[in-house]
Amino acid sequence: MIDPLVILFGLASIQGLTLLTSALTLSSPLILAALGGLCSERSGVVNIGLEGKMLGAACAAGIVGQLSGNPVLAVLAGIGVGTALSLLHALLTQTFRMDHIISGMGINALAVGGTSLIAKTLSNQLSGRMASFPIFIYWVAAWTAVVGIWWYLKSTRGGLRLNAVGNDPDKARQMGVNPVHVRLFALLWTGIFCGLGGTLIVTNAGSFSDEMTAGRGYIALAALILGGWRPIPTLLACLAFGFFEAINLQMQGQSFFGQTIPREFWQSLPYLVTLVALAGFLGKNKPPSGLGRP
Amino acid sequence: MNWRFALLALGGFAVVYFALVVCGVVPLESLAKMIQSAVGSPAGWRNTLRQATPLLILGAAVFVALRAGLFNIGADGQFVMGAMSGTAVALANPGPVGMVLGMVSGALVGALWALPAGWIKAYRGGHEVITTIMLNNIARVLSLWMVTGIMKDPDEQAATTKYLPTETLLPLIYREKALQINLALLLGIAAVIGLWFYLKKTVSGYELEATGGNPTAARFAGIAVKQVTLKAMCLSGALAGFAGALQVLAYEERFYGGFSGGVGFDALGVALLAAGSPIALLPSALLFGIIAQGTTALSLDGVPKGMSGILLGVLIIVFAAYRYRKEAARD
Repeated sequence: MIDPLVILFGLASIQGLTLLTSALTLSSPLILAALGGLCSERSGVVNIGLEGKMLGAACAAGIVGQLSGNPVLAVLAGIGVGTALSLLHALLTQTFRMDHIISGMGINALAVGGTSLIAKTLSNQLSGRMASFPIFIYWVAAWTAVVGIWWYLKSTRGGLRLNAVGNDPDKARQMGVNPVHVRLFALLWTGIFCGLGGTLIVTNAGSFSDEMTAGRGYIALAALILGGWRPIPTLLACLAFGFFEAINLQMQGQSFFGQTIPREFWQSLPYLVTLVALAGFLGKNKPPSGLGRP
Repeated sequence: MNWRFALLALGGFAVVYFALVVCGVVPLESLAKMIQSAVGSPAGWRNTLRQATPLLILGAAVFVALRAGLFNIGADGQFVMGAMSGTAVALANPGPVGMVLGMVSGALVGALWALPAGWIKAYRGGHEVITTIMLNNIARVLSLWMVTGIMKDPDEQAATTKYLPTETLLPLIYREKALQINLALLLGIAAVIGLWFYLKKTVSGYELEATGGNPTAARFAGIAVKQVTLKAMCLSGALAGFAGALQVLAYEERFYGGFSGGVGFDALGVALLAAGSPIALLPSALLFGIIAQGTTALSLDGVPKGMSGILLGVLIIVFAAYRYRKEAARD
């Protein structure tokens, strides 16, 4: 005879396990993008361009993955385009001293238009699923990167410099640290992380479609701000967004106490929770004080 | 610094040129054709002005928030909510009453949709970029739910409301051959001039700009910074909601799923290009209208609609670089 409690527990854990894997899958691109944002914002560059960088990377990785059939080339293409867009951001904000938000929006517009145009012109040569690595590898990359960045910011020379530049570029300059160099380095990593994030999104879908990042870059930015620009809390915020998205997928159409809750409620739940969290207690996170300064 | 800017402008032009070559058209010819189709004929002007109208008012919405130091990414959601409530009210009250009430309710609901963001920013310190992104997503989901549910026209397959009756719609103020100008454009221009007057000539507007310029200094000067922040966000939302209601009452004649098409994000570009002065919103919105209309015309030659994004991105970047070059020269 089997204890009914065991059965109940077993059922719950199977449900829980699919929920967990689905939450992990959905949060990984967010984690990667948010880490990209973290690198850039901790060095003082406001990054609203995460969305465009991921979209560009997703397009490049998808198309190269389909044309070449080689997963290594696909990932490299994704990282390459993400990095190129990020370095463009560095050029505009550091060399041209342009407003960080304006240049980020410009990059987003370029990415939306450019990817759609390229995908359209190549559309009759593209078919089938892109070649790609298993999703699992991206999870490992995302989680390792969180720990890596946490350690880097906390206990290396470079991390302290990054922080110094982000908090007060003028003082950093006086101490002999060149903010432009530090930010170039930081934005390079932003590009790499956004590239991985975009590649992961297109890997999940199998092929590129217009605006497929669907605002995840903005959600990642929200997670970064919710996490107070710190790696571990940012990771938790990304997990929470992924978790709610997973709940939304699982709970659709299920009834509670005889009432069917509309799908739309579950869809908007993560956003509502974020709003309430901000209204309640999470609002006081302090941004790096050098954010947006030349 | 000059040669750097020249290089950037050249690079931007090269990107556009290359993109047009990729599309398989003759670049310079098609650029000329683009401008020709947007402003070269009465019909072109009609479409360009139609495209520019929501951009102008939404641009004003984003602009007023920017002047108060707030980045209102939520214009898109406020636009959608304004359009939805405007449609609902106008459908319930046919005739000119519905038209006026529709506009008022659009502005009110837009302001209400911005209120949580403003309140959280002012009294809880939560970043307006996050809250408005969240509110955008909620607006999208909520509007889809409404338009597939209680607001749906039962005779239609697609997620859309009934069409508004003709007498509820905003009238044309000018009609000569193909050129038609809707009252909405005039209302938009009036809103921009009103905004200019408010910001430059009233105490309240001065307080708003002072808060945006330096909140600490504003607080020591006796300005109630929190209330001003809340007020600015609500004003921004009201303008965006008003734009949504006008879009229904003047052009779309109904509300449907996916109503905004991202116009709230284009409006960020409009406001950022206009930079310091509300009057600059007029040429800025017109430019965006020309691009929108011109790329629509180019799509007949097989140029994908992605071209408009490329043009917008290049223009935003080059214009901003130009302006910062001037500012750097002044310092």
